[in-house]
Amino acid sequence: MGETERLKRCINDLISVLALPAIWTGSDPTHVLSTLLEALRGMLGLDLVYARMNGPAGEAPIEVVRVAGADTFTVQAHEIGGMLDERLGADPRNWPPVTRNVIAGTEVSIVAMPLGLQGEMGALMAGSGRADFPRETERLVLGVAANQAAIGLREARLLSDQKRLATELDQRVARRTAELTAANQALRQSELNLRQMTETIPEMLWSATSDGAIDYCNARLLDYTGCSAEAVMGSGWTKLLHPNDVEQTVREWISCVKTGAPYRVEVRIFHRGDGTYRWCVTNARPLLDQHGGILKWHGTVVDMHDWKQAQEALRNTQAELAHMTRVMTMGELTAAIAHEINQPLSGIITNASTSLRMLAGDPPNVDGALETARRTIRDANRVSDVITRLRQLYTKKEAAAESVDLNEATREVIALSLGVMQKDGVIPRTELAADLPRVTGDRVQLQQVVLNLVRNALDAMSVVEGRPRELLIRTGRDERDRVLLTVHDTGVGFQRESADRLFDPFYTTKTSGMGIGLSVSRSIIESHHGRLWAVLNEGPGATFSFSIPCEPAGARVASLVSSA
Amino acid sequence: MIATPSLVSVVDDDPSVRESLPDLLHELGFAARAFVSAEEFLVSDCVEQTGCLILDIAMPGGMSGPDLQHELMLRRQQIPIIFITANGDQTIRPRLLAQGAVACLFKPFSDTALLEAINAALGTS
Repeated sequence: MGETERLKRCINDLISVLALPAIWTGSDPTHVLSTLLEALRGMLGLDLVYARMNGPAGEAPIEVVRVAGADTFTVQAHEIGGMLDERLGADPRNWPPVTRNVIAGTEVSIVAMPLGLQGEMGALMAGSGRADFPRETERLVLGVAANQAAIGLREARLLSDQKRLATELDQRVARRTAELTAANQALRQSELNLRQMTETIPEMLWSATSDGAIDYCNARLLDYTGCSAEAVMGSGWTKLLHPNDVEQTVREWISCVKTGAPYRVEVRIFHRGDGTYRWCVTNARPLLDQHGGILKWHGTVVDMHDWKQAQEALRNTQAELAHMTRVMTMGELTAAIAHEINQPLSGIITNASTSLRMLAGDPPNVDGALETARRTIRDANRVSDVITRLRQLYTKKEAAAESVDLNEATREVIALSLGVMQKDGVIPRTELAADLPRVTGDRVQLQQVVLNLVRNALDAMSVVEGRPRELLIRTGRDERDRVLLTVHDTGVGFQRESADRLFDPFYTTKTSGMGIGLSVSRSIIESHHGRLWAVLNEGPGATFSFSIPCEPAGARVASLVSSA
Repeated sequence: MIATPSLVSVVDDDPSVRESLPDLLHELGFAARAFVSAEEFLVSDCVEQTGCLILDIAMPGGMSGPDLQHELMLRRQQIPIIFITANGDQTIRPRLLAQGAVACLFKPFSDTALLEAINAALGTS
């Protein structure tokens, strides 16, 4: 090959080398190196060509090797790299222009060039078995190629860095997006849960803005009132209140909204279910910001109607119980009453006797008789006072004529006497007719009668030994369709011949008591147009019974209507 | 000859009894004194002279009639006792009689019943 031909070829090669960036632009470093090595091997007919790009500190370099005809010798890129470092040293400035090496049994001339001014980018190495390698032109082509490669690699590295950054950025964005999505979902779930809770919780809930306008009512509250959400929003809720309660409730609410004080009112609220106003307690608390300003109000409504009525009923029952307790102690009190009455009676008789004797004297002691007669009158007035006090004690102020369920009244009496029964070892049995008609009368008075009969029965059994103490209370109707109540005991009974006197006042077979219980009981039953009587049992004990007319049909309705 | 002490003492917390009974006793021919409590009677100078004691059973706040009866027995004062009571409990009578009382009268009692009892107590008739 002539010199001219060689130069021409060299120029072609240089042009090709300068065209390489067009091929590898946008590629990664490995591709840059591969492209470079392929081109150089082809152009210069090299047996071995190797390139290395240093990685960032601590990372392995990228090494690529190309050999002519893989069958001549096989060699690994890192072996070439290792040999190069060993033979040439780390500083490219000290590298000789050419070295001769035996690689895989073949003598090869090696030209090594740094990539980058100080070899900071890596190294390029070309080897050939030709004796004249490298020629001047070949060194030129290799030098230009090394420069091109350095530029290409720098770009590729930048590109690669950018790509890596972009990928990292993408990954971070993706990760953040996933986190946000999850957070959003959790938030949505939480909102859903909260909403589900406020809508399914068996309580009536509401909320209001800081200025007191209602902005939420749960379904339960809306169902209760039968109103739409729109209707109760803002100040619409006042329409649900009993007209008499509106003014005070609104005043209280406005005051709380102003001061932030907890809100609590008892108010009648319209209830769609039965179309009435029912007593409710409504409570609310402000949600405050960090400066104590009101953000929102959250409130509840609780229907207290049944509770309030139960309270009312309880109060009534307690009042009646107090009355009955007074009646119950009657047995104990009668002894004291007897004492109270007998003392002045004693004075009356003694004074009257003295007075008579003084008048019968000779001469009559008129002054003494007058004095004792005056004492007689005074003591008689004392007796009268005692009787008046007693009457006040045992007379219920208003004589009631109410509709009475005798079964229920009886059950209360039994409940009251359970303690005594237990103490006495008496087992009470009841057979209360399920279809017992109601009677009209004074419930407490009738309970006094039942209580009196029960107490008598217990007293009659208290001395019984050796047989069961059985108390049976029955209700039902008699043959004349009257309401009948019987108290059957297994006590000592009574003398058959005294059956008529049992109900006389002050007749008693007991060691305590005045014997007025049955007398009073009979008068109570008679005032109810009924009858009270006693019979001895076939077996031991006695049975006391009373019957009273049942309430005329329609009477209850009439009384309800008139009281409405 | 020593006269039989005919003083009748009345012990009762009820003022109307203390007021009325001595007058009746005077009319019946007895000297009478009234005391508000068993304690007052015991510290008086009448114990020795008393030939008959009319004694209330229940006297709240102090010795009861039976307490006084017991005390007199301990002091070996054999005074016949007529119990009187405003309490209607009949079962108490046999017990009191068994313990040595002459009679047990339930208030209100008649003047004849009282006289009978006193006569029995004093052994006169």
